[in-house]
Amino acid sequence: MNDTIRDLTLPLSEEDARGLQLGETVTVSGLVFTGRSLLHIRAIEQGIVPPIDFSAINCFFHVGPVMRETAAGWEVVSIEPTSSIRFERYSPALVRTLGLRTLIGKTTMGPGTAEALREVGGVHLSKIGVCGNLLRRQVKRVVEVHFLEELGKTEATWVYEVERFGPFFVDIDAHGRNYFAELDDLSRERLAAVRRELGVPEDFAYTEVNP
Amino acid sequence: MIDRDTIASAMYEAMRLAATQLPPDVEAALEAALDTESDPLARRHLQVSLENARAAQDGEGLVCADTGFPLFFIAAGARTEVAGGFGALHDAAAEATARATADAYLRPTMVDPLTRVNPGDNVGPGMPRVLLRFEGEGAGLEIVAAPKGGGSEIFGTFYRMMYPSDGEAGILTFVLDAIRDGCYAGKICPPAIVGVGIGGTADLCMELAKEAAVLRPIGQPNSDANVAALERKLFDAARSLGIGAMGAAGTSAVMAVNVETAVTHTAALPVAVNAQCLVGRRWRALISADGQVRFTGDPT
Repeated sequence: MNDTIRDLTLPLSEEDARGLQLGETVTVSGLVFTGRSLLHIRAIEQGIVPPIDFSAINCFFHVGPVMRETAAGWEVVSIEPTSSIRFERYSPALVRTLGLRTLIGKTTMGPGTAEALREVGGVHLSKIGVCGNLLRRQVKRVVEVHFLEELGKTEATWVYEVERFGPFFVDIDAHGRNYFAELDDLSRERLAAVRRELGVPEDFAYTEVNP
Repeated sequence: MIDRDTIASAMYEAMRLAATQLPPDVEAALEAALDTESDPLARRHLQVSLENARAAQDGEGLVCADTGFPLFFIAAGARTEVAGGFGALHDAAAEATARATADAYLRPTMVDPLTRVNPGDNVGPGMPRVLLRFEGEGAGLEIVAAPKGGGSEIFGTFYRMMYPSDGEAGILTFVLDAIRDGCYAGKICPPAIVGVGIGGTADLCMELAKEAAVLRPIGQPNSDANVAALERKLFDAARSLGIGAMGAAGTSAVMAVNVETAVTHTAALPVAVNAQCLVGRRWRALISADGQVRFTGDPT
């Protein structure tokens, strides 16, 4: 299914990042590392980052994978990209500190991350559909894991080698545009029209009990 | 008399099935959403989600890797007897949840809210959640296992204590704002099943919303015609917001809007919204008085 989609080589070059169009569908191949809230909090509040070479392993995959340990080692059961917006407090600093050019997660992030990605020349890629089992097929190897004892399987940093991983779509490009922010303006207008059709008064306000 | 081990293994199996199979009514609703959705990206979201669920049904992975909060909704009859008493339901639920987690059907996701320490088995104070109600004259147990995903619960929970003068305009405003907010950027993983509670105390109101989202079969309107009309109005409005599957453009924001009501204080109009995500996980174990167990994805 992914053979006809443009595949990006990781680590992403600044040139490749700047050339990506908002809404474009892509896959990625190379090395990715995982993390969620605890990675962000520890990295920025405490300066604890996984001991990996971020110039080579530069794609941050927002996920809490389901992992199973077998006699042959760790295997991925399912890897569902998680909501990236939860990390907005720390994400701009992390993108700048580690020079991250590729974030993969579920849908949008805030203006801070969009600005940081514009500066470093990076993009945010969003998942398409619920896809954790399909993505699992594209993980060629579980390379290593960090902080497993301290953080547990869900929040640990896993490094995967992936091939034609995706598809994802570019929801924040390297020029500061955000697919969802643009869509939000439309739904705001639609909501106003729907309210009028339903007969909700234009000036409706909830009863205020602390006037 | 139903024994504890029968209950624990039925709970485990219901949780395993919930984690790996789409309920038939949810699958049909996703297919129906795909039939009517025209936005290309929203269609891709739906197609991929259905393909991903089929992989799980064929033994590869889970319908969604965020297995979320482990919930058990239990209905007992007036004559139901549980060996060791009804308190055994909590033990059985904890055992079933820990075992399903060890077998990787549930992701270890429950943590202490302050220390953030993860015990690794999804068991701790308050979890798994066991909600027991009594209904009918029967002697069996009906157990619905619902691993409720983080997206729908974290981003799809809204409550407001309104007042009688806020009326239907207030209800429409609150629910549609909640749907638009939750569906923005696909936070609650649309197409969502939106549960709305109106009335009761604050906690009952929220419970009504949650049960409307998690337990009600898709396509079954409220038996009260006025409430059913409100459901229809909200459903049609939600499909007109310009939001489709996973927050793309489109129309497929919701699979259903289910409203439940309870009587409330004459001074109050509490309204709650709780969303269920597009995989709509729930599986049912029916245990007869003699301990026979039957599993079904069909809603009652």
